[in-house]
Amino acid sequence: MDTPNGEYAIDLHDVSKTYKGKVHALRGIEIQVRPGEVFGLLGPNGAGKSTLVKIMMTVVIPTKAEGTMLGKPIGHKPTLGRVGYLPEHHRLAPYLTGKQTLEFYAALANVPRATRKKRSAELLETVGMKEWGNKKVGTYSKGMMQRIGLGQALMNDPDLIVLDEPTDGVDPVGRREIRDVLLRMKDEGKTIFLNSHLLSELEMVCDRVAILVQGAVSMQGTLDELTVDSQRYEITIKGDAPGWAGSGEAIRIEAVNGMTRLILKGAEADPVQPLIDKLRAEGVTIIAIKPVRETLEDLFMRAIVDPATGKQLKLGAAPTPAPGTPPIGEVRP
Amino acid sequence: MRQFSAMMLDAYRELNARKLFWLSLAISGMVVIGFGSIGFTDKGMTIAYGIWEIEGPFTTDSPLTRPFYMGVFSYFIVNIWMTWAATILALVSTTSIYPDFLAGGAIDIVLSKPIGRLKLFVFKYLASLLFVILQVAVFCVGIFLCVGLRLGEWNPKIFLAIPIITLFFSYLFSFNVLTGIVTRSGLTALLLTILFWFSISGLATAESILHSFKVEQGISARESEKKIEETTARLEALEEEESGPTNSRRTRYESVISRAETRRDESLKLETTLNKWHRPLQYGMWFLPKTSETVGLLSRALKDPSGLDIMAILEGEGRNNGRSRDRQNADRVVREEVEGHSLWYVMGTSLAFEFIILSLAAWIFCRRDF
Repeated sequence: MDTPNGEYAIDLHDVSKTYKGKVHALRGIEIQVRPGEVFGLLGPNGAGKSTLVKIMMTVVIPTKAEGTMLGKPIGHKPTLGRVGYLPEHHRLAPYLTGKQTLEFYAALANVPRATRKKRSAELLETVGMKEWGNKKVGTYSKGMMQRIGLGQALMNDPDLIVLDEPTDGVDPVGRREIRDVLLRMKDEGKTIFLNSHLLSELEMVCDRVAILVQGAVSMQGTLDELTVDSQRYEITIKGDAPGWAGSGEAIRIEAVNGMTRLILKGAEADPVQPLIDKLRAEGVTIIAIKPVRETLEDLFMRAIVDPATGKQLKLGAAPTPAPGTPPIGEVRP
Repeated sequence: MRQFSAMMLDAYRELNARKLFWLSLAISGMVVIGFGSIGFTDKGMTIAYGIWEIEGPFTTDSPLTRPFYMGVFSYFIVNIWMTWAATILALVSTTSIYPDFLAGGAIDIVLSKPIGRLKLFVFKYLASLLFVILQVAVFCVGIFLCVGLRLGEWNPKIFLAIPIITLFFSYLFSFNVLTGIVTRSGLTALLLTILFWFSISGLATAESILHSFKVEQGISARESEKKIEETTARLEALEEEESGPTNSRRTRYESVISRAETRRDESLKLETTLNKWHRPLQYGMWFLPKTSETVGLLSRALKDPSGLDIMAILEGEGRNNGRSRDRQNADRVVREEVEGHSLWYVMGTSLAFEFIILSLAAWIFCRRDF
């Protein structure tokens, strides 16, 4: 993928948006997305996710925005010809057929006529709408509209695909198909920016994520980076823990349904081996050994909790911040 | 060009899906059939394709027939059907175009394409006028055939109705677009547009009536002045005769002069008062779109080469109808004045208004967050 003047597909700096009435939807967003990766944006309702996406797509005018998208400044219209976008709750013209919809939006993206015809036929098949391509959008179910919406986002063969809740209203089979499409796009070297509430979906496809809380980036990085502190090995044994097990700081013991769980902090397998040897030497029955880390859901829940009070942060847009207030949370680019 | 073509095609498909478009077209077709049903024979006129025959002056060879038939088109069909009924149908049909276009989820996709907001706004506006262009174009083809077959005159000027009616509609539609963008409600935009339309029509009518009364008073004052001068001259001539005027004659002349002076003074006073009311309206109208006058351009274009305005005659021009001579003269003067308005005044000032309204709408559209 061609990204002149920078290594990032998306490189946002100090993106802010204040609506009338001093509602701070975004406060100095810093996000970097590498070419060819699937990047997930998550956050509670009203955190500013859609506003950020809309600023990137020129639907919302930022109060302040620095940075680039595909090497060009944010808001550079011609660059949008290399971007595919599926907005949340999109509305398609009911009087057009699925095929006409794809071709109409492709024409707006300056795709030549011959290419439009070819791509629309291909993409109708890709998104599983081949049989419905000549039927009016007004007769479609929500899931079908989502598929056509995804199709229109891919019509210009984009380098960057920005999807806002792409699996909204889609059944489990459809979700899997959409996920497969995204992974195929990733294999083709395209960058995917995904905004979704479905954390499990994101966890399956995303290379890196950012969590937005109250209009600021709370966490950003790969799942491994963000969960490094929580990574551990859990060894489940039959009966009670041996006496020596609780003496060191490295091992934490939990009793679970007549069994005992020995927990070792860290992501490395090497420090676990001597412990296994010792347990086996003492004839302890080992039921399970597994590496564990926080799920995206755990991470998300951690992000929306105020570490000082332990209470959930107030959701929605941020109130007017005091001058010099730093953004919330940790950022690991 | 690719983007513009796509938007035009989309607009056509959108219209195609609207029942009102086809209803409007069907009514237009019926109007054309009705117009075509008027025929001419050696004895007079036939209606409903010869079912009824009316003997009269409008015979095949009569010089009155052409101005009559063209007059039916430009005065009745254009002024009543095209200017009122079809325009209301067109407004109802197109009023939701911008609110639908701006609806959340719909505008997002369009704005995310590599096309500037201003360009998008202009393309959408032009594409929205397609409704009227198509309707009037089809209608004009029908009228062109009727006139050609009935009069043997294949008059391409009939097609001037396409730009003229589209222009007239665009004045109203620009206001509809502005209100549609501000309120995001098709119904509200429609009601406000109709209110605006009726308001400017009302103002134009009020201005025209006041102007006509003012002109009438001016004519009346001048006529009175003329009468004073003539009577005074006649009296002076009598005074110069040896015998001089008789007392009763002198009294009669003086009485005539006195009445004429009173009438002149009253007319001048009324003219001044009317002028106070008329002047602001006249200036106000300068800034507003001239809907009636724009449509009237078609009548001007289709006017009979002989200058014979049969429809004006049918409407009563040249007949007394209980009106004073001053009143008739005033009506004639005002009509001549209106017909003498330059294209710049009629179209230029109206387009300037449209430009200002559209600029405001475009400014809001380009700066709005969706």
